[in-house]
Amino acid sequence: MEKLKKKIGSLSFWNWVIASIIFRLILIYFPKNLNLSSRPEVSTPLTSFRRLAEGYWLKQSSMSPYAGSMFHGSPLLLSLLGPLTVKRIEGQPNHLLYSLVSVIADLVSAMLIRATGQNLQFAYLRTLGSLDLVKQIEGSELRSSGDVAALIYLCNPFTIVACVGLSTSPIENMAVILCLYGACSRLIPLAAFGWVIATHLSLYPAILIIPVIFLLGCGPDAPPRKLFLQRHQQKGVLNESKLPPGFTWRPIIHFAFWTLVWSVYLLVLCGISLKQFGGLWEMFKSTYGFILTVEDLSPNIGVLWYFFAEVFEFFRNFFLIVFHVNILFIILPLAIRLHHRPCYLAFVYITICSMLKSHPSVGDSALYLGLLGWFVNELSDMQFSLFLFCGYVGVSLLSPVMHNLWIWRGTGNANFYFATAMVYACLQIVLVVEGVSAMLNHDRKLRHLITGKLHEAKS
Amino acid sequence: MAETREKSHKPKPRVRPIVRLGIFLVSHSFLVSVVCCTSGVLALFLLPVLAKNTYISENALMPGSASPMLSNQHVLDGNRLVKDLTNSNLKSSETGIESHKIIAQYMLDLGAEVSFHKFHPQMNQFHPLHFFSSPDSGKIQENYSCSSYGINTVGVIRAPRGDGKEAIVLVTPYNALKSGFGEALSLGIAYSVFSLLTQVTWLAKDIIWLVADSQFGEYAAVSAWLREYQTPKFSSLSTLNSEMCPDINNLFEIKVHSVAGSKFSNSFRRAGTMAAALVLKVRDQGEQFEDTISIYAEASNGQMPNLDLINVVNYLAVHRQGLRVNVEKLRSLLNSSWLKSLGEIFESLAKVAKTLNPKCKFGIPATEYVEGTATLASSLYYQALGVPTGPHGAFRDYQVDAITLEISPKFSLDKVWRNDILLRGGRLIEGVIRSVNNLLEKFHQSFFLYLLTSPSKFVSVGVYMIAFALLIAPLPMVAASLYVDANSSSNFLKGDSSTPSAVTDAAEHGITIRSWKWLNSAKLVFIVHLWGAIVSLLPYFICQIPDCSPTTSFVIWVLLSILSLLILNSVLASPLACVKASQEKEWALVKSVTISSVFIGLGLMSVINFATAEIGALVMVPMCLLAQPLKLDVRAGTLRSCCRIICNLVLGHIAFPPAAFFLLKGMLDGFGSANVGDFWMWVESLWAWNSATYLFIGMVQLPCWVLCVSILFHSC
Repeated sequence: MEKLKKKIGSLSFWNWVIASIIFRLILIYFPKNLNLSSRPEVSTPLTSFRRLAEGYWLKQSSMSPYAGSMFHGSPLLLSLLGPLTVKRIEGQPNHLLYSLVSVIADLVSAMLIRATGQNLQFAYLRTLGSLDLVKQIEGSELRSSGDVAALIYLCNPFTIVACVGLSTSPIENMAVILCLYGACSRLIPLAAFGWVIATHLSLYPAILIIPVIFLLGCGPDAPPRKLFLQRHQQKGVLNESKLPPGFTWRPIIHFAFWTLVWSVYLLVLCGISLKQFGGLWEMFKSTYGFILTVEDLSPNIGVLWYFFAEVFEFFRNFFLIVFHVNILFIILPLAIRLHHRPCYLAFVYITICSMLKSHPSVGDSALYLGLLGWFVNELSDMQFSLFLFCGYVGVSLLSPVMHNLWIWRGTGNANFYFATAMVYACLQIVLVVEGVSAMLNHDRKLRHLITGKLHEAKS
Repeated sequence: MAETREKSHKPKPRVRPIVRLGIFLVSHSFLVSVVCCTSGVLALFLLPVLAKNTYISENALMPGSASPMLSNQHVLDGNRLVKDLTNSNLKSSETGIESHKIIAQYMLDLGAEVSFHKFHPQMNQFHPLHFFSSPDSGKIQENYSCSSYGINTVGVIRAPRGDGKEAIVLVTPYNALKSGFGEALSLGIAYSVFSLLTQVTWLAKDIIWLVADSQFGEYAAVSAWLREYQTPKFSSLSTLNSEMCPDINNLFEIKVHSVAGSKFSNSFRRAGTMAAALVLKVRDQGEQFEDTISIYAEASNGQMPNLDLINVVNYLAVHRQGLRVNVEKLRSLLNSSWLKSLGEIFESLAKVAKTLNPKCKFGIPATEYVEGTATLASSLYYQALGVPTGPHGAFRDYQVDAITLEISPKFSLDKVWRNDILLRGGRLIEGVIRSVNNLLEKFHQSFFLYLLTSPSKFVSVGVYMIAFALLIAPLPMVAASLYVDANSSSNFLKGDSSTPSAVTDAAEHGITIRSWKWLNSAKLVFIVHLWGAIVSLLPYFICQIPDCSPTTSFVIWVLLSILSLLILNSVLASPLACVKASQEKEWALVKSVTISSVFIGLGLMSVINFATAEIGALVMVPMCLLAQPLKLDVRAGTLRSCCRIICNLVLGHIAFPPAAFFLLKGMLDGFGSANVGDFWMWVESLWAWNSATYLFIGMVQLPCWVLCVSILFHSC
């Protein structure tokens, strides 16, 4: 019976996967009506397809791809995806090949998410087993978090829009997921590769190095270590085999080595491809420099563009530092509090980055919302879930309307659009706060369960 | 939602004040919603009292600061054109080309640049997503006939002081085939102004005079010209055109030869970006008492031109030319006694307020209140319809502020009165153009979002939004309280988490998806909304069936809608059946999610088109709030539940969009003439004008109605 149920579940999973891919293909076949690739929500200066095509064109006519401040991506993207921007098939939509690459990237990401989710669930069950809490779980239904997360990622309208809107964020997301997958399944070279690529493409995933180190050092998410110690202490016997492994340095040294290898390799490749055009310095200036100095103030769903359009020029540097340090400040406390749940830590970091980054797009939200699915069992008690859901729906509908009011109808102004951006940022804050507190509550509940059991045993 | 946590940890000593306020509001949601809804409706009726006097916000406009320069000489010129046009009408009324030639000739004689613009009337097309996209250059139609085309005559005066980057547009609709005297007179007025403007030295913006060929409707001609002006087509259509229709071209050839050495050109002439546009019309039948000028301002989707433009026209017409200014009002409201008594109540209230505080300038006379309400109602109605009230609507799509001025002269148009109208109308237009000419930037100082209660009074967005906000404020609260109830009741069933024995229970609970229970209801709501989207797309296919009368189309539409609901129902895991599934309080969750979705929909619509959202909220908010399974009420059998049953049944009938339409139509025209096809025709007109109201009805109101009805018939 159980097996049958599982079979049906996986069958419907594959049905949904196929349906979501067919839906993407349908959308790809009439992109003209939708015009998604020019929406500010989808394509930022960093992920825009048009800028990529422009950079490729500049490079083909032997100019620096960074000339004219149009392109700000990686030179490797130019070499890999650039040819797809000009290649056309007769009778097919213009950017069919490029769109297909995005679809494949989405599919691969979803599969990696699924595998990682299964990994995490396995670890979760094992820890519950070692805490002797299996009985409590048997009665209740556990969702397969891998499937849920993969489906959330694939069927999320944000992911679909980012994929059909020809932005490069599906590929950036894939790199991040690759990194987490590698770290979860202890494929150290893969993790290092994903981290290096993700950092290279969009800089912000650099802070994922902390969760990756935790993942490699002490394994995937588990309840706090002291809980195990408490449990076994009170039992009287310390069963070493049932304890989660402590922090080990060996995989981290491996990771550092591989990171070094991949970075050098990547820089050499970039250097070769930019040899005539100013070299690596030019690349750093117009990719990382562009991200960090917020040169482009065209409206997007973030909050920085408005702020830096308003701020006086001589305060600009000060506020640049303030805004970026904001992210760095959050790293340490979260790392201390959530060190036993590195994947969740990664999720929180990604959410915070997508809130505070200089050019956010819906692709970033697609990533963290997908990762949220991993913790569907732990977060089942999350507050405000309906409120958050309605908020996301409302903002994602309101934001294009406000943009229309400002740009096309002329009856609104920038404040209208910025208001939705602020609401969006607030929603993300609520999501992070509630998510973290729900996770901590979950840990607390496990502790209660153990102590409750002890009471029972004593009485 | 915050409240669940707070409730479960009651012994917690301190709760943040804002959370406490939230808990208070949610726990008293019934009282709060009654108070909010009543005050929302009351605030709506207070709007005419709260209206402010208009004022010129942009300093640069300086209306009426210069004395008018339009003299009798210009009036005589205009008169000459009117005479020639009425004569030529008699001579060759079959082509209409002749009169265009005459107009062009007159323009050329003034030294203006003249060109003709040929256009083919576009078929009404259905663009469901038009609202979110930029104006496009239009589909190139392949199969047009040479016989059906219109000709706009365009004259351009280049400003002696300008840099040619800005322009003011003057539009006079003119149907050469069957023109009334009024149209000729409007041309006369425009010509007299035009002839003055060729001579003046103060002109800083180019003047474009568009004589729009209105044989296919005024709007079509203006929008075709605008489309060509703003988004030129780089295609071979024009050459194709001349090849395929030689006779059109010949006419122009003759024209060019006849005025050798002139500024006539066959190509499309442009001036700069448009600062403002005025559409001038003269009505054939005169008013009885005095010369009146009516202002029409509503463009598509309830967009209004900048209030400053209306202010300038109003100021100049009233204070300089002695014309009475009129805006549209709902005549049927003028005689209603209940409105009068309401006005009297407000008036007496204002008197009381004045005795208490002499500084208080609140309140208007009852008659003024009734008139203001009638104007406000018509303002709301036309904005809500989303269909432009005149050719000025075409300009708003390109962010150009435009209004239509319709002059209705007092007496029958004999010679003396005609000259008087020409002079006063001309001076008014001259004054407006002179003011706009002073502008340094485009209109931006004054309001874009407002409702008029009289030509000189308005309600700004900051005021009318209060009424709307009060009306929809109960929605999130009731949604939250229902959600909390549904969650806590199931908690209660499964035990409290305070005793140790229940701890395991709670844990088990935690691992099942407890706080995500609403997902099932959300799925149902989503499916119904998806169905709504399908229903709104169906007419696109139905209207392609040839030879279909409105009645049959409507019947097909209804049948297909029901069919699609059934299919969706069966394919996507029987959404309606899952309502009656396990959970006891399932309907509460469904209602909660429905209310949330309605809140989002109304909030969204209030930004797109406020008037639609306001009218929709008046119907949908009570319906959503009152919806409760009939079975429960019948079982309860108290007075309160009886009232609720009656309200629910009445609202359930009224809120169904076709029913609401027929009810309104019956109230306005009498029930005898109502026909099933009328609704189809109305809907067709809505989507032909790309009205967002259509999408609102299809994707917010209809799903909301379906969900509410499914809650009513919920078996619990």
